[in-house]
Amino acid sequence: MIEARRPADLRAALAQTIVGQEGVIEALLLALLSNGHVLLEGPPGLAKTLACRSLAAALEGEFKRIQFTPDLLPSDIVGTRIFDQRESAFATVVGPIFANVVLADEINRAPAKVQSALLEAMQERQVTIGPQSYALPDPFVVMATMNPLDSEGTYALPIAQMDRFLMKINVGYPSREEELRILDRFAVADTQPLRSVATLDDVRSWRDQAHAVHIDDKLKRYIVELVAVTRDAGSVSVPAKSGATLRAAEFIDYGASPRATLALAFLARGRAMLEDRDFALPDDVRAVASYALCHRIGFNYRLATEGVSADRIIQAMIAAIPAP
Amino acid sequence: MVRRAAAAVALLLAAWLAAPAPLRAQSLQRLTVESFVLSADTTAPQVDTPFHLIVTLHVRENVMRIDNLDLPLLAELELLGDERQTQSGSRGTQYRETITVVAHHAGTVPIASATLQAVDARDGKPKQWYTNQLRLQVAGPPLIVTGAATMRGMLNAVLRIFFWVVGIAIVVGLVVLIARRRPKPLPRPMPAPVTPPPPPPVLLVRSRRQEIEDALTVLRAEGTRVAAVRVRTAVWRMVGASEGETLADVLRRPQTNDPVQRRLLIALERSAFTYDDDLRAAITDACAALERYAETLP
Repeated sequence: MIEARRPADLRAALAQTIVGQEGVIEALLLALLSNGHVLLEGPPGLAKTLACRSLAAALEGEFKRIQFTPDLLPSDIVGTRIFDQRESAFATVVGPIFANVVLADEINRAPAKVQSALLEAMQERQVTIGPQSYALPDPFVVMATMNPLDSEGTYALPIAQMDRFLMKINVGYPSREEELRILDRFAVADTQPLRSVATLDDVRSWRDQAHAVHIDDKLKRYIVELVAVTRDAGSVSVPAKSGATLRAAEFIDYGASPRATLALAFLARGRAMLEDRDFALPDDVRAVASYALCHRIGFNYRLATEGVSADRIIQAMIAAIPAP
Repeated sequence: MVRRAAAAVALLLAAWLAAPAPLRAQSLQRLTVESFVLSADTTAPQVDTPFHLIVTLHVRENVMRIDNLDLPLLAELELLGDERQTQSGSRGTQYRETITVVAHHAGTVPIASATLQAVDARDGKPKQWYTNQLRLQVAGPPLIVTGAATMRGMLNAVLRIFFWVVGIAIVVGLVVLIARRRPKPLPRPMPAPVTPPPPPPVLLVRSRRQEIEDALTVLRAEGTRVAAVRVRTAVWRMVGASEGETLADVLRRPQTNDPVQRRLLIALERSAFTYDDDLRAAITDACAALERYAETLP
């Protein structure tokens, strides 16, 4: 009897290749299980590309990387039609978006037209080239990155487009111990390529299972309360850099949309699935809450003037809602 | 000399006459006065219409007559007659004196008390008793009626009677209506049983093992999600978890390092949040975990 492959096996395989960055690995797997896309924000050189490439390799899937630049065109992403002189006919050349795992590097460097072409493909899971529409491969996961350090010459993603990403995570630097392990692992000339631990069919099956993960009514109410507190955070206190205690509402222009509610439920189901459970727990919701909320809340300038991070405000709001 | 003797006799006579009552106590009746009342047969007599004042005395003793009973002064009334009646029996003597009088002027007529002097049989001392006083309002003289006036008077009387009859009929009708509409009196409520005061609470300090066994009993007996959530809350409290924490928070506590206890917490979490088809199995698992945990407790 062949043992059924589980998402946890995939996570373990990725963890063998990527040192630390559990958040990135978990985000990739959650996006895979929830059929969503991930926005990563962090400085370069934090193994984002490696993580995507490893994921595709572990699934026997195809990986493509698109470097977003100011002169990029939508056809550079989705593809175009060229005239074939030999055949005297137009032929379609598909773009790099036709892959199972796509890394859209520095998405905010491309102009809005290119961004929207990508986001439309992410939403519709198909692209139209000339008169013909082409379905994107399944599974299809986009992992877009943004560099927070170098903002010159960038085009900020509109909030409506940010909302289309199922989740956003902030990638931090590894710890000293992790960095030592990185040194050891990548010191040798040729690293072992990641072997396949699952198939694309497995991923589709996991996705169906994740969709069937049970969310109790108590948990649904908890999710709704978590999203609601972002819209009315007057009762949530946040300590500022000056030592004063401010209300979270003072930092927020607008709260999360109902899409955040759906995203929280999807992600909680995915996390339960990663933990080999067919029912979600409050821990699942709490663990993924900041992933689903952080890019859907409109923070104002006071964030910078008071020296408070968005993550701290989100954590304060999550802590303010008691788990069931 | 004769003149001096006559003066002395007169002085002595005057002194005897002026002697105070106690000196005359020997002649007073010995009575036990029980009531002594003055009344009139009408409170509003008419001018020139005779009426009666009645003095009633009841004494305990059997006596043939009553002495030393003085009627009040009736200056504004004309005395027409006086009738005395004494009835003796085993219950004493009832003395009744009826005075017939007539007033000749309208107005208020005050009548003073009647008095009785006797030796009180209770203590042997001579005393004077007083009745109540009366205040009568004498109305004007009756009209001298002629033929036409007689007719008018009769008509007035008939009308007055008619109105009285109609008024009484209306009042009676209203009373009947009210009586019919009045709800039947409710049966008198049974007096509330007097419950004895509750005994002073006995403070039982239950051990953790007993509490776990209680939780196990509840979960086995009810086997519902609600019971599972209740037991989960109780066990969380037992390990020091506060409201609103998640399982991961609780498992991070140093008090929950015991693997048996951790398994129990995880099993209870499952029974609280799993899907309905898995609930029975989850509760069975939680009961087993409770049982195992109880065994580890002293």
